[in-house]
Amino acid sequence: MILGIMFLEKIVSVPYSRGQYKFHWEMNSMSFWRDKTLHPYIPEIADEMLRGRVDRREFLRTATLLGMSATAAYGIAGKLTGGEMIPSANAQMLTGVPKGNFGGTLRVSMRVQPMTDPATFDWTEMSNVARQFLEYLFVTGADNITRPYLCRRWAVSRDLKTWTLFLHQGLKWSNGDEFNADDVIFNFKRWLDPRTGSSNQSLFTAMTTSAATGKQGKDGKPLMSTTMAPGAVEKIDDYTVRLHLNRGELALPESLYNYPTAIVHRRFSDEGGDISKNPIGTGAYKLTQFKVGEKAILQKRKDYWGGEPYLDRIVYVDHGDNPGASLAALASNQVDLVYETPVEQIDVIDKIPTAKIFETVTAQTAVARMQVDQKPFTDKRVRTAVRLCQDHDKLLLLAHRGRGIAAEDHHVAPVHPDYAPLPAPAQDYRLAKRLLADAGFAGGLELRLDCRKDPPWEVSLAQALAEMCKPVGIRIKINVMPNAQFSEVWDKTPFGLTAWTHRPLGFMVPNLAYRSGAQWNETHYSNPEYDRILDQASSTLDVKSRKKHMAKLQSILQENAVIAQPFWRSIFAAGNKRVQGYELHPSVYHRLNKVWLA
Amino acid sequence: MGVFILKRLGYMVVTMFAVSGLVFLLLEVSPGTVATKALGAFSTEEQRRLWLEANGYYEPLLTRYFTWLGNVLSGNFGQSIRFKVPVGDILWPRLLNTAILGASAFAVIIPLSLGLGVIAGMREGSKSDRAISITSIVTTSIPEFASAVFFSAVFVFWLKWLPGTSGMAEGFNFKELVLPVMVLVIYDFGYVTRMTRSSMAEVMTTPYIRTAILKGLPRHQVIIRHALRNALIGPFTIIMLQINWLLSGVIVVEFFFAYKGFGALLLEASLNQDIFLIEACAMVAVVVAVVTQTIADIAYTRLNPRIRFA
Repeated sequence: MILGIMFLEKIVSVPYSRGQYKFHWEMNSMSFWRDKTLHPYIPEIADEMLRGRVDRREFLRTATLLGMSATAAYGIAGKLTGGEMIPSANAQMLTGVPKGNFGGTLRVSMRVQPMTDPATFDWTEMSNVARQFLEYLFVTGADNITRPYLCRRWAVSRDLKTWTLFLHQGLKWSNGDEFNADDVIFNFKRWLDPRTGSSNQSLFTAMTTSAATGKQGKDGKPLMSTTMAPGAVEKIDDYTVRLHLNRGELALPESLYNYPTAIVHRRFSDEGGDISKNPIGTGAYKLTQFKVGEKAILQKRKDYWGGEPYLDRIVYVDHGDNPGASLAALASNQVDLVYETPVEQIDVIDKIPTAKIFETVTAQTAVARMQVDQKPFTDKRVRTAVRLCQDHDKLLLLAHRGRGIAAEDHHVAPVHPDYAPLPAPAQDYRLAKRLLADAGFAGGLELRLDCRKDPPWEVSLAQALAEMCKPVGIRIKINVMPNAQFSEVWDKTPFGLTAWTHRPLGFMVPNLAYRSGAQWNETHYSNPEYDRILDQASSTLDVKSRKKHMAKLQSILQENAVIAQPFWRSIFAAGNKRVQGYELHPSVYHRLNKVWLA
Repeated sequence: MGVFILKRLGYMVVTMFAVSGLVFLLLEVSPGTVATKALGAFSTEEQRRLWLEANGYYEPLLTRYFTWLGNVLSGNFGQSIRFKVPVGDILWPRLLNTAILGASAFAVIIPLSLGLGVIAGMREGSKSDRAISITSIVTTSIPEFASAVFFSAVFVFWLKWLPGTSGMAEGFNFKELVLPVMVLVIYDFGYVTRMTRSSMAEVMTTPYIRTAILKGLPRHQVIIRHALRNALIGPFTIIMLQINWLLSGVIVVEFFFAYKGFGALLLEASLNQDIFLIEACAMVAVVVAVVTQTIADIAYTRLNPRIRFA
């Protein structure tokens, strides 16, 4: 602790003026760590890093999470560990020296989906167009570290229930208005209003309250209405907003970079409520043309507050749902970058001389999940038998060409900072057969597994899993459905293969998917013990302690065999070799103001 | 003829009425899912309920149907759920794009297939007839998705002569039309060629052709003056029917080459249960079917005066 405080005395601060950055150390200042808004855990974790108990990455993640500016955190990490003080990606920000070439048009093959209300975005693609001109309070980078963005810094109470957001000052919307606290408050109010229809309402349940409407549903049950809890958002001054949560929430910054949380102008609703028609933003680009299903064109903003972006123009071209079309467009130089490249195309891309592959390991996955209140999955022995049939490494090889990491049937990934290593589950046909026989299925049983048609690796995975289950007598009939139809039954079918996207922290998906009664609890799993430990994990700052909670959580889910989870997959994006500075985000979020063309 | 056209128009209105009612009924099977499509799979039950209420989905089916019908009669096709714009804004440009693609394909298919069909039919059983017939059968047997992959592999990935997609993102580009047209032509010309050939072969065996040959007319005059006009009656109807086929037949080609046409729109609307867009597409399909059939019937009487309107 003392060591950490001693080093924190050597603090970095980065005042900036538009377009030009200065950088200086305040070597002897004690002011920062005495700042009452600095979270008390920061000196502790600095100490942990110094003693080698926490790695540099975790220190950066936690320190920035707790309100320290990214530059300050990088500076301290560099000082403490003697490594590179500032990562190269931030070099330009600090020195003002550009790293790439200015100018040019980046053409990206991606679906151009309707983009009306950012709060109701339900696909990453629509947010990618918007992300070039709308910004978020926080940003989680491709390195899984969350940093401040529209928010200059933030402070959080020890119980993680009170979050104070200090906003940038002097930052302008594209219509000339100044960005301020009213914008942030307006957005929170909209997100939490059920009439908006935003999935953010499920994300910020710690800020909502539910009450009966007095009406009854078709099933005779009283209809409930969920709205923003009184006093959940408080305006301190024009540039400070305080959030009051009804329970501690560690992942609030990460949630505030979830794709439907882009900050729109405070008069968004009054001015039509359609961002594609009235694209006012704080971002580096402005939307100049938008045709759903065809293209979106964005032009560089000269007065962008965060430094001049490299590209003059970004053009998103819609090639439909056919990945072959995107590949053909890349091969014939019609586009420079593809939104996402299916694993099946990797070999072809390697043969195109002008193309390269961007790859990143993620916490994206597909789980063969079983509804624990539907027969025969009510019997844990049946679920366990399905789970034991898996050879995780082989499934990864068969369905995803070995690109990814084998999973362990508990939905926490090794890329998560709070992942606790458990012994790798092994295929065990003998035990699986015995369990089936005990459950009364000595002669085997037939199951139907619903899965969607695209992407094809999910169908391959379903087929490989079905083949692996055959030797014990589990005959799985695969029901491949068009994606649009599957999206209607994904949470209703007794046995389905569901794809889950990447989330930066290990407890985030369990909160959404395995907590009793959670909105996306597709397995209907309910275990008060699991919920209790999940509460503890979700509010434990110390990574070592959190890992202990996570180990229990992981074991419980694995032991209860709610899901058979074969692997975590890598994701890919093909691009022209001219494309530089692009980092493939684990959630495929585009933020292209640091990309340039060689 | 005026009565005939009026009858056809009446027939068209009744068909449109029936089709629109059926489509409405079919999509009614799972109305709750419309809200899921609009708000996404991750919306809450309450949010979906509020959306359905705000968009009038709790009104009785007949009320909604007749409201929609009234709007259509006043030129308002409604709002697309998928594209979140008025249906007309997306339908007409897409229809125009398909018309451009179809016209380009027909500009190749018609002269090519009529020419080859006539050459093959002139001398039934000759080497040229056999060669044309076999080629026609082979090309017609290859589905569009297979020829699209093949042409793409050759002209895009190997020779690098042509662009791989046809989205016209940078404005109209003739080169982007080549591959989709090529696929449509390869798939369709064989069928029209075979029809023309059999029609021509049949005419060539008629007594008046034999008489013309026996009275010493040069062969080309026999073909052009006597055989061709009669031989083209059958293919003409076939070609008009191909316009109908094209409306749905382009789905594969448009999807493969990311061409922004009616087929791709219909596919997307159907997969997303976009009720007003599907209705509008269905109405367009009925109009095109009835109009092309009417034109075929009228032209038939012009080509063959023995046929009269009933």
